[in-house]
Amino acid sequence: MSEKDIRIGAYVCYCGGNISDVVDCEQVAETLRGLPNVVVVRTDLSMCSDAGQSLIEEDIKEKGVNRVVVGACAPSLHEVTFRKAVARAGLNPYLYHHVCLREQDSWVHQSNPDEATAKAGRLMLAGIAKARMLEQLDTIRLEAEQHALVIGGGIAGLRTAWDAAQRGIRVTLIEKSPFLGGHMAQLETIFPTGENARQALHELIEKVVSHFLVTVYTNAELTSARGYMGDFRVTITAQPRGVAEDFAHFDEAAAACPVEVPDDFNYGLTTRKAIYLRYPDAIPNTPAIDWKACTRCGECKKVNGTGIDLDGKPQTIDLTVGAVVVATGFQPYQPREGEFGYGQFPEVVTLPQMIRLMTMQEGNGKLTWNGHPVNNIALIHCVGSREIPGVHEPQEDGRVNDYCSRICCTATLQMTNELHERFPYINLFDLHEDIRTYSRGHEDIYTEASKNGVRFLRFHGDERPEVTAAPPDDTSPLLVRVKDYLTWGKELEVPADLVVLATGMMPNPVSDIVKLLKITEGNDRFLLEVHPKLQPVETAVPGVILAGTAQGPMNIQETCSAASAAAAKVGVLLGQGQVSLEPFVARVNHDLCDGSGQCVAVCAYEDAIALEPVLVDGKTVQKAVVSPANCVGCGVCVSVCPNHAIDVQGWTLEQYEAMVDAITADLPKLEVVE
Amino acid sequence: MNSRPDPNESENPMNTPDLKVDALVVGGGIAGMQSALDLADQGYRVALVEKEASIGGKMIMLSKVFPTLDCCSCITTPKMSAVAHHDNITLLTTCDVQALHTNGNGGYTAKVQQNPRYIDADACTGCRQCEYVCPIDLPASYDLDMGATRAIRVPFSTAVPQKAIIDIEHCLLCGKCEKACPTDAVDFSQQPFTFNIETNAVVLATGFQTTPTDAKREYGGGKLLNVIDALSMERLLAPTGPYGHILRPSDGKEPESIAYVQCAGSRDQSLGVPYCSRVCCMYAIKQAMLLSGALPMADITIYYMDIRTFGKGYEQFYQNAKAMGIEFVHGKVARIDEDSEHNPVIRVETIENGRIAERTHDLVVLSVGMLPGENLGPIFDVQPADDGFAAIPDPTLSPSATGHPGVFVTGTASGPMDIVDSIIMAGAAAAQAAAYLETMRSSVAAGPTAIPEVAHV
Amino acid sequence: MTQDKEAARARTAMLKKLREEHKDTIEHTRVLLKKQQEIRRIISQAMKDGAGTVPEIAGASGLPAHEVLWHVTAMKKYDLVTETGRDGDYYRYALVEEASQ
Repeated sequence: MSEKDIRIGAYVCYCGGNISDVVDCEQVAETLRGLPNVVVVRTDLSMCSDAGQSLIEEDIKEKGVNRVVVGACAPSLHEVTFRKAVARAGLNPYLYHHVCLREQDSWVHQSNPDEATAKAGRLMLAGIAKARMLEQLDTIRLEAEQHALVIGGGIAGLRTAWDAAQRGIRVTLIEKSPFLGGHMAQLETIFPTGENARQALHELIEKVVSHFLVTVYTNAELTSARGYMGDFRVTITAQPRGVAEDFAHFDEAAAACPVEVPDDFNYGLTTRKAIYLRYPDAIPNTPAIDWKACTRCGECKKVNGTGIDLDGKPQTIDLTVGAVVVATGFQPYQPREGEFGYGQFPEVVTLPQMIRLMTMQEGNGKLTWNGHPVNNIALIHCVGSREIPGVHEPQEDGRVNDYCSRICCTATLQMTNELHERFPYINLFDLHEDIRTYSRGHEDIYTEASKNGVRFLRFHGDERPEVTAAPPDDTSPLLVRVKDYLTWGKELEVPADLVVLATGMMPNPVSDIVKLLKITEGNDRFLLEVHPKLQPVETAVPGVILAGTAQGPMNIQETCSAASAAAAKVGVLLGQGQVSLEPFVARVNHDLCDGSGQCVAVCAYEDAIALEPVLVDGKTVQKAVVSPANCVGCGVCVSVCPNHAIDVQGWTLEQYEAMVDAITADLPKLEVVE
Repeated sequence: MNSRPDPNESENPMNTPDLKVDALVVGGGIAGMQSALDLADQGYRVALVEKEASIGGKMIMLSKVFPTLDCCSCITTPKMSAVAHHDNITLLTTCDVQALHTNGNGGYTAKVQQNPRYIDADACTGCRQCEYVCPIDLPASYDLDMGATRAIRVPFSTAVPQKAIIDIEHCLLCGKCEKACPTDAVDFSQQPFTFNIETNAVVLATGFQTTPTDAKREYGGGKLLNVIDALSMERLLAPTGPYGHILRPSDGKEPESIAYVQCAGSRDQSLGVPYCSRVCCMYAIKQAMLLSGALPMADITIYYMDIRTFGKGYEQFYQNAKAMGIEFVHGKVARIDEDSEHNPVIRVETIENGRIAERTHDLVVLSVGMLPGENLGPIFDVQPADDGFAAIPDPTLSPSATGHPGVFVTGTASGPMDIVDSIIMAGAAAAQAAAYLETMRSSVAAGPTAIPEVAHV
Repeated sequence: MTQDKEAARARTAMLKKLREEHKDTIEHTRVLLKKQQEIRRIISQAMKDGAGTVPEIAGASGLPAHEVLWHVTAMKKYDLVTETGRDGDYYRYALVEEASQ
């Protein structure tokens, strides 16, 4: 196409005020009118609306526009939206260029509207300069492996696996620990339905593990990953279990084991042996060796040597999967030594510990703890949640947990109700900032707690309660001091035989997985989605999807919804057996390439560019060849090529130069703005 | 009958009397649109039935949305457009599902009535010349009656489809629109039209309604001019709002002092609404932030019982609002009256010091709650629970499954929730509908032999 | 020709039937329209006399301010009134033909 045939349509979006409140969009449009090749210039309140997109389509069809430039929000939001509109009108979707006037301009220059308007003009001019050089491109279509890897065997991973398998997609689910079920297995009663947590969980596990499309590996971790959506090559490393499936002498073996470690199933309230079952009907119901604790002394083998193997080697499994679902879950916040007396006084426990403690207490008679009868319990909310930077002590990474953990309010009140039912004589004190019983049926739990006579005390976030030792002659060992705003800021002292800390949620530490999959964590350390409304379960890496509390605090119900939504995304990506990748990958001009191999040396991605024999004039020579599926279009190869033989499609050096020239050119029309 | 309707005819089902799809989605708000897209993107054929003249639901009325403060159109309108243009989605507006029957094969037959627009939708270009000549101005429900519309109109500027409709209940039948229409699209002869949709799965996304402003006598019973609900404030804040500015309804004054009354319709036994509506804390904080941007000199106060900013990034949003100088007063508002200038006077018992205070504001916004929308019992046999929202048999592990195989409920039809949660839940409903569709398919052609496997390696 | 006539006759019959069906609502809207025209006349008069803000128009017309606001908003939407600037806490409005003079 010769330059005179290029007909550019330029559109400046108000973004419903987001841009136009700062940038004078009409003036920007005025600047663009009459530029060479620009045949249509329009503004609109919302270019991404159907009406706005129709403007573009009509201009393509009726005014012969064959290059489109829209100045709007960030390309991550709506570049694809506009490409689709362009394609609907019959134009190649890559004859489109998206200029960011919101994140890059109006949002960051609110105090300087004139300069923001001038900058918007320059950005648009640069976009138009690039548009003149756009060429038709095609998406890279690849076969997609209809197989998903789900990382994490808690409720989120199980639910995703179930929905994806039911959808017809093969699933490999890996669980780091020897047992399935995650934290849900450690709960007893689910609020607000009152169901038994383990029973509901076991029903789902049984369905998942017996599904013909599901393979489950316990004791297994992701140890390498490469590739791209539709074709990830992953390696799973599975540690040996150490115990045979038909091993029938667990009780004797455990008795023989001399190693005793805190039992994490009971959050350290009890101990277990190095050979263990997480709980009696844990799934799989075969004991496992805790390799971190085991000294390989061999005592357990003496009971029945054939069922135990302490010398097993890890096994690696290589798989090709089309998508990866990260369902790595949470861990309860671990209070610091001395935080609200935790670790300092044995009478201070966390809420997860309290839930376990309740199951260990026989019957409904008297509650005792640490040898004392328990008559007064104080429950403190927001431990490890809603912390204020500069007020509360940061963790090792310098950050505080400034988010709400969502579940703890209802869980705490549920605990008070359970305590009241089983031990009605106990005085219950609930110390909170706000009560957040937000979900369906949760407010009823709060109402019941009020009816039960729970005494509510309310503190300010920067004046949290203090847990101290009571004077020796007091009836209870602890005193909780609080400035209570339900009694107009009075300083109160609450006697406590037990203090329960409603600890928040933190993501499980998964820096290895983050690194392997090249995904990102947010400021709250939870894994980050692209956008909470546009791509709520997707990461910035296509094909890597989030499910459950790895992404943020959620209760079981919310986790199941999120996990199903993740399965829907797996269905969207893989359900049709093909995926499309963007064509912004490196392209080598073999006329210029002299096979220096510098590009191959600097490429950070596996199998993206290589020297291959190519037949030129009857002679075989080495030339760089790009594997488009593996190339991410980073452009490092472009920068080292001594012959300018490489370009990234859609972002060529020539296009960049034109944009830079346009940005730096004099803009007399815009500079006169006062 | 026609099993593959031409998607280009999606706006005119008159040509496709019967429709066969994989999934029927009822309701074109954000949840219904998202479910439809998540199913259609997997390759399933979807019919989306919306009773109004445009899709978009309540979300399209909003200004900006929390916690990202994206303009609402930036999120909604592209989804509306995607629904309208999707090859796998047949969009049916002004349609009511009147009955749903099982078809004996694990699927369902829906009887749908399309109500007349009195407009030939194929001919209408959405130019609005008809609207300009229509003689009668009517309160616009899209603007909560603060602005005007006409008996013939395009519902709103970003409506999908962008087609006119005649409000026959307010039409004079004067014929002016007919003469003005450049494409002869006005058609008074249209009649309600009934047709069947054959489907294997059904997703109900019928949404919610807000607490009426006259619900609470203590808050003026809807009679105080400057006591508005939060949805009205959304319209005032939106760039397409009725006044083009934030003005109070009594006299068009730009308010200098604005108060929010939280839990105005939620957590209130006297209204029979004991539950929390989940969204009001965040939308009030968001509006307060937007107001302090639009009216930098205004004082903004939020009267609350508990601040429930529980979602991802929400607590940080609340802390930002406090840092911006928005005043949070912990106390329950007992009464709202007005003075002789229509300034609302709030009587509040502040919990921090136990005093009863009276404070006068220019404008009061009631943070109204979410009430159940359509009762899904009569037509879909999905009965309401005590709170009026759809009863869910297994809310913990299957939050969108109803008691009927293949019938799912999603979004605010199943309880109050915000947009983020609605979108997630819409995806969940789509996943479960897809799973149902596949199991139906494989029950016909039996699947491979099962190899149950837990690898103990 | 006869076909056209027949079509015209059918159309008249159809409209007649529709008018009959909606007799009550048409009458109701007609009353509403009359009232609206009267209010518009009063408001336009007040604006011709130079009134600009909603309270000013209300004062000059004797209409309640909130009603004035609604009508001015409606007139603005359909290009009969335009906003001309600010006056303290209020915006000023003018009739479109006034503004163009």
